[in-house]
Amino acid sequence: MFLRLVKGALFRQKKKMLMIAFTIALGASLATAMLNVMLDVGDKVNRELKTYGANINVLPKEVSLLDDLYGVSDGSGVLSESELGSLKTIFWAFNIVDFAPYLNVKARISGRDGEFRLVGTWFANHLELPTGEALDTGINNMKSWWSVEGEWPAGDDASAAMAGSIAAERAGLAVGDVISVSTGGGNGESVSLTIKGIFAAGSDEDERIYVPLSVAQGMAKRPGAVSSVEVSALTTPDNELSRRAAQNPKSLSVKEWETWYCTAYVSAICYQIEEVLTDSVAKPIRQVAESEGAILEKTQLLMLLITILSLAGAALGISNLVTAGVMERSREIGLLKALGAGNAPVSRLILTEILITGVVGGVAGYFAGLGFAQIIGQTVFGAAINIKPMVIPLVAILVFLVTLVGSVPSIRLLLSLRPAEVLHGR
Amino acid sequence: MALLDIKGISKIYGSVKALQNIDLAVEQGEWLSIMGPSGSGKTTMMNIIGCMDKPTDGKVILDGIDISAESARNLTAIRRDKIGLIFQQFHLISYLTALENIMVAQYYHSMPDEKEALQALDRVGLLERAKHLPSQLSGGEQQRVCIARALINYPMLVLADEPTGNLDEVNEGIVMDIFRQLHSEGSTVVVVTHDPEVAEEAQRTVILEHGRIARITYNVGRESRKGE
Repeated sequence: MFLRLVKGALFRQKKKMLMIAFTIALGASLATAMLNVMLDVGDKVNRELKTYGANINVLPKEVSLLDDLYGVSDGSGVLSESELGSLKTIFWAFNIVDFAPYLNVKARISGRDGEFRLVGTWFANHLELPTGEALDTGINNMKSWWSVEGEWPAGDDASAAMAGSIAAERAGLAVGDVISVSTGGGNGESVSLTIKGIFAAGSDEDERIYVPLSVAQGMAKRPGAVSSVEVSALTTPDNELSRRAAQNPKSLSVKEWETWYCTAYVSAICYQIEEVLTDSVAKPIRQVAESEGAILEKTQLLMLLITILSLAGAALGISNLVTAGVMERSREIGLLKALGAGNAPVSRLILTEILITGVVGGVAGYFAGLGFAQIIGQTVFGAAINIKPMVIPLVAILVFLVTLVGSVPSIRLLLSLRPAEVLHGR
Repeated sequence: MALLDIKGISKIYGSVKALQNIDLAVEQGEWLSIMGPSGSGKTTMMNIIGCMDKPTDGKVILDGIDISAESARNLTAIRRDKIGLIFQQFHLISYLTALENIMVAQYYHSMPDEKEALQALDRVGLLERAKHLPSQLSGGEQQRVCIARALINYPMLVLADEPTGNLDEVNEGIVMDIFRQLHSEGSTVVVVTHDPEVAEEAQRTVILEHGRIARITYNVGRESRKGE
């Protein structure tokens, strides 16, 4: 009989129930989309932010110490180029997106006055990793925001160079120019380079001329040496634990240490980099790392707010529709009470109707939400959003709670209905 | 002891005195009519007897229970167990068939029993209309379903509010025949009506005016009337 009553009410009020289901579906779809995006947005935003440069700087220990103590960044210590592949062997190897080594050399350009700062680097280096995998990395990936006139040099082009806009202006360089560079006041061996591109970075990088790392190593007579490495890594926003660990990892308990080490905090990744690069000090570029964390947190907060607001909107919609439904059915409810139905059975009847509608709306909304999530993923991040199974129970609980909360006013109205009033008008 | 004993009840809505100091007793098996013009307090009286309202003052004893002192929850249970309600507007649930409308009363009382519900429909002559929705029934048929629903749980007191108010003469006759049969079987019937002909069918008619009992008339002369 109970099911007949429920079925009858559902089919009799088809339009109203469809409206309630639609309202629930709308709330559920937004919650599904936002929760899926929110749970996946960390990687997406991180990858997006990686296009704006490195967030970890690796220096030789000696250089770092001098820098810390005296603010002098010059020193004799170097890192080994041959060890760089091991960056992709650390615990968070998959979070290392790109890296590029640098070796600074002061040089003169034939026919031009003054010294120029040459920076040896990988433009686009193909790296065979110790793990057997291969990686293409270099500054063409890491400096993707540079405005380049001309083209990026090919990875295997040992005579290519890129000049910063200020350096190019000072030396009167144009794309395609061939220059001869040498160290030691022009007494050293000169190297002939072709300017493949002139870039504008909007920073002091514009005063530099980038050359292949091997060229810089040859000019500096330091084969295999690297003075610094910039690493672009996907990281988790810092928290109290990571900040404590950054100060001194040894201050952590074993459990805390494991948690920290196995979480992609920038400090944990730095620690792991130091483990694989001999005599190195890896430091987060704080502004970048913190901005990433802040942007990520704000993006997630925004998603959470949209989820909460959409669910609150759905609850209000449900509340109005169900209350209107109860008012319309006040005679029927009054009759049930007159026939001896207590408040609990009548409430159970109405709640069952609403929850069935909620399940229908919730399921439809979930699948619609998956579609919305993909639309958001493609539109905003240009990539698919990974569907998180944990969203299913979350949305189910939220839909249940929202439906229940939305039904509260109607249940209160229902409880206050007196058969004498609705059947006889008093 | 009377099945229903009303002792000095009053009902006041704000400044309106709907009922004033009413005393009335209804014996087991009696057929009582309550008559009066609009606003005389008939419906208020019915609501109080039917456990759907409480008096402001006084006591109402139904089957030994002071229903004027019971909680709303207990009143629901008393109404379910002891009273069969018949309405002028029938109040059938539109999306349930005639049979299901009767079974609803069984469901909230104890347990639905389709066979028994069909017997109740047969009793009011509507067995063949069991699967029809209220919209497919005439007014008279709807009222007969309403009566079958009121009787399905074997109430001590059948309380009818203008049971023929919306019916034509033919259907009024059918419904009154059912009431006569009920009375002859020993049911206690209280009918609230403004129709003197319907009222005269009862053994006794209480006439209300301005919330007070103006007079009580005893109707005699019908052979089938019980207790005469």
